[in-house]
Amino acid sequence: MSGHDFLLVNYVPGTSPVHRAPLWLKFLVVVGCGMASFLVVDWAVAAAALVLMCALFLSSGAGVRRLFKAVRPILPVLLAVGLFQWWQLGGPVAARIVLNILVCVVAASILTATTPMQRLLDGVVSLAVPFRRFGADPERFALTIAIMLRSIPFIAGAYSDVRDSARARGLERNPRALVLPVFITTVAYARQTGDALAARGLGEPGTDDDDGQASS
Amino acid sequence: MGSILLDGVNVRVAVDGRPQPKTLLDGISLNLTEQRVGVIGANGSGKSTLLRLLNGLVAPSHGTVTVDGDDTVHAVRAVRRTVGFVFTDPLSQLVMPTGREDVELSLRRSIRQPRERQEAAAAILNRFGLMPLADQSIYELSGGERQLMALAAVLAVEPAVLVLDEPSTLLDLRNRELLRRTLAGLSQQIVMSTHDLELVRDMDRVLVVESGRVVFDGGADAAVDHYRALSAAGLPPVDTAAPRVSASVAPHKAEPA
Repeated sequence: MSGHDFLLVNYVPGTSPVHRAPLWLKFLVVVGCGMASFLVVDWAVAAAALVLMCALFLSSGAGVRRLFKAVRPILPVLLAVGLFQWWQLGGPVAARIVLNILVCVVAASILTATTPMQRLLDGVVSLAVPFRRFGADPERFALTIAIMLRSIPFIAGAYSDVRDSARARGLERNPRALVLPVFITTVAYARQTGDALAARGLGEPGTDDDDGQASS
Repeated sequence: MGSILLDGVNVRVAVDGRPQPKTLLDGISLNLTEQRVGVIGANGSGKSTLLRLLNGLVAPSHGTVTVDGDDTVHAVRAVRRTVGFVFTDPLSQLVMPTGREDVELSLRRSIRQPRERQEAAAAILNRFGLMPLADQSIYELSGGERQLMALAAVLAVEPAVLVLDEPSTLLDLRNRELLRRTLAGLSQQIVMSTHDLELVRDMDRVLVVESGRVVFDGGADAAVDHYRALSAAGLPPVDTAAPRVSASVAPHKAEPA
């Protein structure tokens, strides 16, 4: 399967200051970038923020190639959004919107590139602990996020495979030949992942001491 | 060695457009106590359904399945602690981006401290010689490496029984041999379905499944012979008198000048 390095960068082992920074600080940077995208109204500020995020990413040792790989898949979308906004609201607004989206993507990539997935899950579990009183299971919450992160590259890879096979049959212009197989593959993948998790006893509610019921 | 008991098991599923449910398994009664049990049979014969019963992934419509006394319906969590399951396609089994993280995921419930969990995961990966691949993306691993990584993730929680559903189907000859050697070194009770008749020869007991029933139960060599005979009997006749090359694809002859 191809197309599996989609959007988010896998963990790159290292000992840089960004790697060693506390998880809460990295979370805060990602959340801050997300909020800033609503608050920043000057494209120059957004550009400065992007330069800062790129500098942070590169200081982790993850490299320019990984940075470009993280951004590349959304470039066509950014181009379309940028052109539309430029036509509707002018150049400065279009530049601000595009730059703010890039800031968010790079900030999220810094988090995933410098934090092992298990550390990330531990952090999510800690954040979700207060919701236990409302019936939430922090471990399931973390597992859901992990599976979401894992599923994005799979679906991107499935799309890439289906597009190749559609091309081979001369059907690349037929939307049904692209959408339907990706949809079916994704549903099958979801079922297989569910079976795999169930077989490993992962994501089951409650403690290890009580027992659940099998499904037919 | 543990005991897996299937008593009068039927599995039926409702199928759209059919008035009667489809029978996937019918009248299965077995007591599996051997260390290595193989399951062979044609595609769609019911092998995977039989294996999925052992981990509680499928519940019997009739009858009971127990593993070391635990019922797979009423004590499914206990059963899943006892029975590890390896699927045909490791990509659908490995849910983390790297093998190390997937092994650590297996250990999350049993080891709460991150440092202890990392050490336990490293020990497992070292045991299977997978440490050099531990931090590679699972997409960058070969089929055999992925399957061994999936196996390591399942064995991390030390199940007493290991169920493998056609684990060698996607592997080349070298990786199949690697898997075979790895399985040979395990102390767990193994129940494995496969189309690899060489792998079956290593089994202490082999079941041949056909149309949802166990039609043979015995030693590996006799089971393979039975399966071969069964398969040959089901083949359609081949018309040997038919031309080898049809007219539409016959070699083009140059026109005389």
